[in-house]
Amino acid sequence: MNAEASAIRAQPLPGDFAIWIFIFAELTVFGVLFAAYAFARSAHLELFNAAQLGLNRVYGYVNTLLLVTSSYFVARASLSIKAGRSTACGHWLVGALGLGGCFLVVKLAEFHQDFAQGITLSANLFDMFYLSLTFFHFMHVVMGMAILAVVARKAYAGRYSAADHTGVETGGSYWHMVDLVWIILFALVYVIH
Amino acid sequence: MQQVFTKAMARNIFLGGAVFFLAIYLALTYDTWQRIPIRDHADQMTPAVLRGKYLLDTNDCIGCHTINGEGAYFAPELGNVYKRRGPDFIKAWIQSQPTGVPGRRQMPNFHFTPDQLNDLVAYLQWLSNIDTNNWPPNIQG
Amino acid sequence: MKYQSQAVAKPYFIAALALFVGQIVFGLIAGLQYLYGTFLFPELPFDVAHMSHTNLLIVWLLMAFMGAAYFIVPEEAQTELYSPKLALLTFWVFLTAGALTIAAYLFVPYAHLAAITGNAVLPTMGRGYLEQPLPTKIGIVLVALSLLFNVTMTLIKGRKTSINLILVGSLWGLALLFLPAFYFPQDTVKASFGWWWIVHGWVEGDWELILGALLGFILIKMTGVDREIVEKWIYIIVAMTLVSGIVGIGHHYYYTGAPSYWIWLGSIFSALEPLPFMLLIAFSFKMLLARRREHPNKAAMLWAMGTPIMAFLGAGLWGFMITLAPAQYYMHGTNFTAAHGHLAFFGAYAMVSLAIISYAMPLLRGRVANSAAAQRWEMAGFWIMVLSMIGIALALTGAGIVTVVLQRAAADPMPFMQVQDKERVFFWLRELAGVGFFVGLLVYLRSFFISGEYEYAGEMKRALAT
Repeated sequence: MNAEASAIRAQPLPGDFAIWIFIFAELTVFGVLFAAYAFARSAHLELFNAAQLGLNRVYGYVNTLLLVTSSYFVARASLSIKAGRSTACGHWLVGALGLGGCFLVVKLAEFHQDFAQGITLSANLFDMFYLSLTFFHFMHVVMGMAILAVVARKAYAGRYSAADHTGVETGGSYWHMVDLVWIILFALVYVIH
Repeated sequence: MQQVFTKAMARNIFLGGAVFFLAIYLALTYDTWQRIPIRDHADQMTPAVLRGKYLLDTNDCIGCHTINGEGAYFAPELGNVYKRRGPDFIKAWIQSQPTGVPGRRQMPNFHFTPDQLNDLVAYLQWLSNIDTNNWPPNIQG
Repeated sequence: MKYQSQAVAKPYFIAALALFVGQIVFGLIAGLQYLYGTFLFPELPFDVAHMSHTNLLIVWLLMAFMGAAYFIVPEEAQTELYSPKLALLTFWVFLTAGALTIAAYLFVPYAHLAAITGNAVLPTMGRGYLEQPLPTKIGIVLVALSLLFNVTMTLIKGRKTSINLILVGSLWGLALLFLPAFYFPQDTVKASFGWWWIVHGWVEGDWELILGALLGFILIKMTGVDREIVEKWIYIIVAMTLVSGIVGIGHHYYYTGAPSYWIWLGSIFSALEPLPFMLLIAFSFKMLLARRREHPNKAAMLWAMGTPIMAFLGAGLWGFMITLAPAQYYMHGTNFTAAHGHLAFFGAYAMVSLAIISYAMPLLRGRVANSAAAQRWEMAGFWIMVLSMIGIALALTGAGIVTVVLQRAAADPMPFMQVQDKERVFFWLRELAGVGFFVGLLVYLRSFFISGEYEYAGEMKRALAT
């Protein structure tokens, strides 16, 4: 018990350390992508402002709501397992997975509408960035859901406890990162005009 | 908790990252495959163009030259040579090889027939119309 | 050497070094033709010297990788190789096919070679690095299948270490990535796009995994550091390789007719490609500092430590120089690329091959390490080759700068051949450095002919006396 307590003190970040290296690498890549977006936007301000109007912001608002709520669910899952309630933890995670699934459906519907409107990777620079960034993020949601699904299965199987729940926090940290990136992306690509 | 960063975790990042980026690359490649025929005017690849391309390949032209910057750096760029020199000069040049000028880089004579020269020029013309994002920077290639 | 069957690696390593000599000879000839265009013309036109140079490079590296696999896989799996006989047979098939192909390049005009080998039925010839006629390409696939069968069966019946899994997995990747060589679209832009699946897929993807596995194996053996730590590092490094390198392939798609979005995607991801090489340096020196033993094979350690540094210089630094789209706009298809290619191929793949050969050959010859005298020759060869290759890269970079200034970015651009004339001094420097490299190679090879093994007692006495 003592050894564990000191280990926790020595390790202020929740979850496995590796996921933080991973998250840091992910944030770096997204950071570079966002910087490239900002750079391109400053060089082609009028094009970006005009092309941005082609996006339907309702999709974006709905998706932001979905992801923020799912992050709340994941946080509740973390609290549940800290209280030793494995099943509740699993339920919260399944809830988060459901919301993630809704995000994918909404995003696909939006992509479908985009393609019908003639938004392609080659249409213009803004569309290129919009599609690349949102598709790259879309893939991260899929990845995050795969991680959450594994964690949820383990939670139902009773593999976590109040004392040992690194897995839940690891998966949760990644999911929060996916959520965080979306909020920045949404502000940057859909809102800032 | 001692081993905060395990080998299994590192392996999962490796496998997950590989699959993840492969999926992204495949999606992008699919889109590229739709776009290329538009950018390079694939509809203008006539039988003569294709015959000319086969001649370029089977005589290892990129063993000395570059096509859109790819090949060897021993001899001039061929992607825009049609625009730089024009069809007649190209034919006359190929026929007059090798120059035999002492010390100067030599191009072999490939003994092309007049029809083959026409095919070659047709291919070089098609090449010169590919949308390469304005590369090379100028006519000298 | 712990298992008898590891001995099949020996002919692979010897053949690799012999082909390496051939590669350098053709390199010197091609380099001289830059200065004297009529040299050996028309008997040996530049394109033939060039393709012999590049094809021998690929073949000797493959030889070395295969030898490394036959050496490492049994030792890691802790079992004899599944079939040493098959490995030996494969060696002779590969060597014969390679030699016949080079002979065909030298004595048969390329178009004629295409005509008599069925290129019209399934066109595959006339692409860089893939100049081989159809029968050779099929032969390469068969050789690869034989290797894969042999090492995979060995792996299945033995211990499955991460080093072994990465090595065998990346050999599968190497073979799979060669298959697009049989797909040569008539659309030149598609053909170029697909050509990079092989070339980039190998040298900026799969081969970096092989490099990681070989270096990891050598460092485990030589430093005695805990396997868990080494393997964890290797996984992180190869993860970074693929994360940056897969979409990083876009840096080949800027100006070859592919859509414009590759300019952004390729620049962003390929800019991250030096990271795994930086990690490789950090890893290697961390392992060196954490070593639990002093291995008597100092030469092998030198190669192992030199590899990540030179790989970083060639692949990381020189690669980064030309990878961003605005820079490549002027540098694409110039000797900048040749400089990067030389330093990266040598620094990463030639050097890791020489590292495993340096570690394994003494063991294959029945000793832990060569005599101190032999090692001195080998290490002298190391320094001469490394410094000469840096010289080659600098000279080619100089030539590249002249092309950019006079031809690419000039207000009044000069024609290609006039610019080449202005670069003569750099081509001379390249050729001289090439001769230096050849001397280094001979010095290196000399070390193999100094007999005797490392004498602990004698070396100890000498060390104490000084």
